[in-house]
Amino acid sequence: MAGSSEVNLNESRRIVPLNTWILISNFKLAYNLLRRPDGTFNRELAEFLERKVQANTIPVNGVFSFDHVDRTTGLLNRVYQPAPENEAQWGIAELEKPLSTTEVVPVIIFFHGGSFTHSSADSAIYDTFCRRLVSTCKAVVVSVNYRRSPEYRYPCAYDDGWTALKWVKSRTWLQSGKDSKVHVYLAGDSSGGNIAHHVAVRAAEEEIEVLGNILLHPMFGGQQRTESEKMLDGKYFVTIQDRDWYWRAYLPEGEDRDHPACNIFWSEWHKSRRTGVP
Amino acid sequence: MKREHSNLHPQQLTDPFSLAGGGYSLTSTSTGTSTMTSNNGKAKTWEEAKGNQADGGMDELLAVLGYKVRSSDMAGVAQKLEQLEEVMGHAQEDGLSHLASDSVHYNPSDLSTWLESMISELNPNLHFDPSADSLLAPAESSTVTSIDFSDHKHHQQPKLFEKSTSSGYDLKVIPGKAACSQPQIDSRESKRLKTDPYQTSASSSSPSTTVGSFMGSAESTRPVVLVDSQENGVRLVHLLMACAEAVQENNFNQAEALVKQIGFLAVSQAGAMRKVAIYFAEALAWRIYKLYPQNSVDHSLTDILQIHFYETCPYLKFAHFTANQAILEAFEGKKRVHVIDFSMNQGMQWPALMQALALRPGGPPAFRLTGIGPPAHDNTDQLQEVGWKLAQLAETIHVEFEYRGFVANSLADLDASMLELRPPEFESVAVNSVFEFHKLLAIPGAMKKVLSVVKQMKPEIVTVVEQEANHNGPVFLDRFTESLHYYSTLFDSLEGSVSSQDKVMSEVYLAKQICNVVACEGHSRVERHETLTQWRTRLVSAGFAPVHLGSNAFKQASMLLALFAGGDGYRVEENNGCLMLGWHTRPLITTSAWRVHNHHPVVDAA
Repeated sequence: MAGSSEVNLNESRRIVPLNTWILISNFKLAYNLLRRPDGTFNRELAEFLERKVQANTIPVNGVFSFDHVDRTTGLLNRVYQPAPENEAQWGIAELEKPLSTTEVVPVIIFFHGGSFTHSSADSAIYDTFCRRLVSTCKAVVVSVNYRRSPEYRYPCAYDDGWTALKWVKSRTWLQSGKDSKVHVYLAGDSSGGNIAHHVAVRAAEEEIEVLGNILLHPMFGGQQRTESEKMLDGKYFVTIQDRDWYWRAYLPEGEDRDHPACNIFWSEWHKSRRTGVP
Repeated sequence: MKREHSNLHPQQLTDPFSLAGGGYSLTSTSTGTSTMTSNNGKAKTWEEAKGNQADGGMDELLAVLGYKVRSSDMAGVAQKLEQLEEVMGHAQEDGLSHLASDSVHYNPSDLSTWLESMISELNPNLHFDPSADSLLAPAESSTVTSIDFSDHKHHQQPKLFEKSTSSGYDLKVIPGKAACSQPQIDSRESKRLKTDPYQTSASSSSPSTTVGSFMGSAESTRPVVLVDSQENGVRLVHLLMACAEAVQENNFNQAEALVKQIGFLAVSQAGAMRKVAIYFAEALAWRIYKLYPQNSVDHSLTDILQIHFYETCPYLKFAHFTANQAILEAFEGKKRVHVIDFSMNQGMQWPALMQALALRPGGPPAFRLTGIGPPAHDNTDQLQEVGWKLAQLAETIHVEFEYRGFVANSLADLDASMLELRPPEFESVAVNSVFEFHKLLAIPGAMKKVLSVVKQMKPEIVTVVEQEANHNGPVFLDRFTESLHYYSTLFDSLEGSVSSQDKVMSEVYLAKQICNVVACEGHSRVERHETLTQWRTRLVSAGFAPVHLGSNAFKQASMLLALFAGGDGYRVEENNGCLMLGWHTRPLITTSAWRVHNHHPVVDAA
């Protein structure tokens, strides 16, 4: 191992800001307690430990939110929007008019991370992030509360992502621009990035317009370890061992990490597909 | 609450984990007034943080994300994380998750305490060096902890963490931690104590318990869950809001026109929205025509409706279950126990507690129950009848039982001397209030009086269950909007119920509350629901300290809900040691537990 490419064991402590280090280390250790060697997950304790926040139709820092639940499927989406300029309209969710008839307002469908197992749309960390996304991008964000593993394996998360995309596309109150359509981007971190990718691929196949993908350290893998996986194993909160657990919990039983949900670069599988993903 | 972030560093926005600047006051999880650390926008690294111990405020970034860590304690918490990781490395892999799931966790927001309890759990031999623990360093907390230590007679707080002899887990006693779990409030208290050390606990709580001061502390959150937002449903909501606005502005002609429109549109709706619209429109009509409905004094009807509500949905069951759990834990090891129930009604809460006490390892305690209720209208003695039934149950399960029913028009009429209390060394007391406290807010001074009477009872524990909503704001339109959203969610959750008769009765039960919130004022408006944050402020100011409900209660409550057919939208949530039951993401009721925070006046010996 050349000295220059070797990652110092204490590097994360030096590089990462203290409060971030504390936050992520706490998650890491708590998650270690929740994963059982037999592949089951301590869901009750996970929900107890999870810090959640409620939606709030009264704007805070220029952003308000509300939750929508589909009665038949139980799928929940948390919608974040910029606050209306008219203060008299604060506290009410406008569901009859489009976002704008002149400007384009992007709608970002966001899939939270958590390795398909942890977190929710109402997790404090993701609620905070989505709010910032609204402010920075002047967009509407729809955070999808997809079903998680190991209780719900592949393809449940992708199906929920697809349902959310169809739902968003069909909301007249999410339309914008002179062309009166919903301008959709898909985004996600970690497993959310994986979901965003697969939903985008299906959208391309079924000719539903998605204007772009925003993938934040998306979660992919394969039977063969990559160089960076080997080099960074355990160095920045994540280990190969825990990744393997999460794949075993998400992929259908008996499948390995070359399953197309996980290994999107497996060339043989890819040769037989033709997609128009931008 | 708006927060300026002039020192937001633009680079940090691209890093999803560096959540700097995302700060805003989270109503239920943040402490709200932490000082922004002056570090020109860049989050501190470990090395930088070690050198800066002066800051007494909370780390704002962690606070926004639901974790309360003092800025000065950051390095200490980081150390504990490393320690825990080391200890976890030594524990066997299957042993780890086994231990984790069997141990009881409390208040995960208090990161420091949680870490310490986990470390002790996994390595009982590890001791904490108090000098290295920065807990005692900040000025505010050391005052509070020294008061706690000097009070040796009432070792109530350490019992929370005391090892249960039957479980075999060695959770270390960490003195003073519970008092420090809300340092913002404690520092206010400690300042009060510092300036006037001779004040007794009763008088020190007087300045902040007026009703008026709590109006200001209400946070502005309006959680909304829309289920199947159909277009007509949305229009109905807008109409209701417009009508309420007209009422607010005393424009009664406009309001009248709107209320009729609502009536027409409502009947074309289906499901929960139809009923909610009809009940709210009805309540608005009462108000518009100034026919303020008399408070139905027929409590037997309310009791019957409540029984159906109990059967239809899990809210009351959750309330009873979680309160009983806290009471059970508080009564551990006690030989004689006394429960004073402010919400006796049909006594539905007590069979389960009595059965749990009967099954206690080591045998049941002697169980005494004092049930308080309003006078009955017919000549029947409701309270006594309930007592008889419970006595019969007690006999079958071999629990020594004593009962007394106590009739009172209002809880404020009570005095501790009426209850024939026995010395605390002889008999331990629990006070229980399920959906009763909020009614006291209708009469100025009543709440304060009742809380001081509760303190006189010297309870081991006080269990409080209340609706999680602010229906007591000063502005009618706000109350209307809040309650519209609250009851819409509640009615939604009833939609999936199986028995239609129970469901109808439950809806009537809730409709009476809606009518009271919307159409009544002054003494008659008794459904003055307030949020956990508001109750917390009130109870802490009155001299109570929180007792945390743990992961065991959470887990059992979750399992209880899973058994409940008719909707898997129910969710249990942990919030700073309290448990909330909600429909999807909207909490609807909260169970909290309290003990009397002992202020020992410092006496100058000289």
